[in-house]
Amino acid sequence: MTSLNDRIFGVVMIVLAIAYGWGASQLPEPFGGSEAVGPETFPILLAVVLGLSSLYMVVRPDPDNAWPWSRTCVELVIAVVVLVLYAMLLQPLGFIVSTLLAVGTLCWRMGARPLNAFITGGVAGVVVFLLFNFALNLALPLGLLDFLEVS
Amino acid sequence: METLGFLMDGFAVALQPENLMYALLGAFLGTLIGALPGLGPANGVAILIPLAFTLGLRPETALIMLTAVYAGAMYGGRISSILLNIPGDEPAMMTCLDGYPMAQQGKAAEALAISAVASFMGSLIATIGLILLAPILANFALTFGPAEYFALFLLAFATLGGITGKNPMKTVVAACIGLMIATVGIDNTGVQRFTFGVLELYEGVDFIIAIVGLFAISELLFFIEDKAGGGKEKMTVNKLKLSWADIRGIMPSSFRGGVLGFIAGVLPGAGASLGSFIGYTLEKKVVGKKGYFGQGDPRGVAGPEAGNNGASSGALVPMLTLGVPGSGTTAVLLALLISLNITPGPLMFTQNADIVWGVIAALLIGNFLLLVLNIPLVGIFVRLLSVPPMYLLPIVTMVAFVGIYSISNTTFDLYFMVAFGVAGYVLRKLEIPLVPVILGLLLGPEMEKNLRHALDISDGDWSTLWNSGLAIGLWVFAGMGLILPYIVGPILRRRMNSAIKETPTAD
Repeated sequence: MTSLNDRIFGVVMIVLAIAYGWGASQLPEPFGGSEAVGPETFPILLAVVLGLSSLYMVVRPDPDNAWPWSRTCVELVIAVVVLVLYAMLLQPLGFIVSTLLAVGTLCWRMGARPLNAFITGGVAGVVVFLLFNFALNLALPLGLLDFLEVS
Repeated sequence: METLGFLMDGFAVALQPENLMYALLGAFLGTLIGALPGLGPANGVAILIPLAFTLGLRPETALIMLTAVYAGAMYGGRISSILLNIPGDEPAMMTCLDGYPMAQQGKAAEALAISAVASFMGSLIATIGLILLAPILANFALTFGPAEYFALFLLAFATLGGITGKNPMKTVVAACIGLMIATVGIDNTGVQRFTFGVLELYEGVDFIIAIVGLFAISELLFFIEDKAGGGKEKMTVNKLKLSWADIRGIMPSSFRGGVLGFIAGVLPGAGASLGSFIGYTLEKKVVGKKGYFGQGDPRGVAGPEAGNNGASSGALVPMLTLGVPGSGTTAVLLALLISLNITPGPLMFTQNADIVWGVIAALLIGNFLLLVLNIPLVGIFVRLLSVPPMYLLPIVTMVAFVGIYSISNTTFDLYFMVAFGVAGYVLRKLEIPLVPVILGLLLGPEMEKNLRHALDISDGDWSTLWNSGLAIGLWVFAGMGLILPYIVGPILRRRMNSAIKETPTAD
């Protein structure tokens, strides 16, 4: 069972190809009647090619790369969660605070000492904020630090 | 002669103080990006594109800056090869073979200087080749009809995996994924496709977001998985002792490497890895037993470095003239062109002549800047190599966030970028190449448009797609691009690996 990755991915892609092709065949005919190439032609073509090439992956898979289970997997999930939170909190918390938290956490999880990590995050946030707001005239959100705003 | 006039106009564009300044900035940033392990040219250019947008640069300025980043990154790749024995990307692999031994013998400065000169030679030769070849190819491409273009796009996808690529079927899968994403949005008959009623998807998926996510975010995830990049032993760079005789000694190697590299770069599917590999093998053949390759022979540094840089400039030929990029980084540059509302291809040479020739002139100027920048300033780049990646990558990620956020000022794009990053990680794990995905995203609309035109002209007769000799030729080449990797690929890969194994490493 050393080639399971490609097989599973191939099956997923076949399902996708079928769903996508079916979706394309349901597309409404454009206003003004049918043409040689409608909105569905190209997608259906793609669905066929993807289906066939995925089938090949199922039949002749490559050997697997090891997936990082256990601890590394947890770290990866943490990183993705941090990135999603970063996007979510960018506006409410403001750029500087959210960068401090996000970059700090990432550096720390990657092995930096916590203090250094959060100092890096804070400095990076402030420097980029100042650069964008004053040198480049692009407003990044201040969020929590709104009170610092000088007009 | 006409070309010369255009080139002069190009210099007039490139030598404007503002453009020159951005070229210098780009060259500096590029070298930095190339030098840092874990950041290749494609990632570097991808992250800087959104920033170029937010800076509100004029098209030619943005293009000049990012071309300089591209050239700089190819220069920078050699620094970590020589000093740390870590190739920044695949093409830099061959430079490790003789570069690292030179550094171990206390000749790091010489190795760096030689590689800078060789890189310069390689790029210079290839840029001259580009100037000579591009207008001819562009003229030829003007005879292409929609059917030929459709076949050409297929050729681009088929050869993208390269003849050293592993599984061509995975390239096909990847290209399909990219093309499918490209169909999201309102098509040109006004029908909504695969938008699921989400307002943000009406305009389609912004490929800049996809590129930054696929490259930058997946790189971060990969780093977390490896955790390999801890502090490698720091190399000290000695004082430079290089005589003219030394430079003259590597000139023939640089010349040969540059020419070979350029050819490898122009040919679809070959690319910089092959350029540096054949640059190295040729040197070994030509010099023969008189050389001491693998033990710090300067010619073993010059050959592949010239080949590598020659190939990267050569790859610009199909990108500029046909709108078909031959490598990951040129695909990213193509994304930049499309988002600047410039359609690459033969028409660009007539419609946007100032931009094309401005960029070509900037490439020449950039190479001089890089040579000047690289020999005295190499110490700075070396010092920056000691920044541990655990600080570096989070900051790069933040730059990607800022860049994407400041394009639209919405968070929706950021979620999308993270999603692409996770997808990129999974695809890379499965050894499904990312470049065809991006190329599919970029070329999808054009490809469909050409299919539409071709079939409209022929009243729905599909055989029109292979009705001309040229179109048949392109189909045949595309087919070969898919079949050759099965035959030639394993042989080439074995040779590359044995070349690396043969060389004694002191580790």
